[in-house]
Amino acid sequence: MKKIQDERLILVNLKNIRITYVIQTVGIIGILGYDLVTKGLDGMRENPLWIVFVLSIVVSAYLSMNVSVDHENNEKSPRKGFFLSLIIVSLVSIVIGILTSLSEGFTFINGVLIGSIMFVCGLIPVIYIFYLRTKRQDSDE
Amino acid sequence: MVSKMKLARIEKGLTQEQLARRVNATRQTIGLIEKGEYNPSLNLCIAIAKELSKTLDDLFWEVEL
Repeated sequence: MKKIQDERLILVNLKNIRITYVIQTVGIIGILGYDLVTKGLDGMRENPLWIVFVLSIVVSAYLSMNVSVDHENNEKSPRKGFFLSLIIVSLVSIVIGILTSLSEGFTFINGVLIGSIMFVCGLIPVIYIFYLRTKRQDSDE
Repeated sequence: MVSKMKLARIEKGLTQEQLARRVNATRQTIGLIEKGEYNPSLNLCIAIAKELSKTLDDLFWEVEL
């Protein structure tokens, strides 16, 4: 098959891919919803489609960060936003860690583990947004 | 109204197909641009203008009378 070079057809192709994506997502949600009703939450999570769904949502969220960074007004310094987000992520992780270790059936180690996992999971998007903002600021100059 | 681009293309003695091949587009796209039904990118506009030996103003600028 020849590679499409016509820009109009490339755009039409992208629109077609978007429609296909919507159909696939609706299908996946339908199957997972059926599993949720018939087998419960754990049964739904056993379905490999769950991983596909979660992964695609995460990838989509990261890709849309690229769009939202360009959309926001760029008067704020990226460094300030980075430190603010870092403080919030640390506070949320510490609170969740403490609450977990205080809960029944969980040890102090569990709390530290859950807190650090929360911190790392929050840190990755914060670093990515900081990287995108600094990159955009460099390209503005 | 016949578009300026169509006039320039005929003046140059090119068919839609020939122009399309030179600018890496399809005949249908060229037809839609001439009819004003497709908004081409600046890159495509420049490629068409170069092929037709015209400026962007000559081809795409509409002067209100």
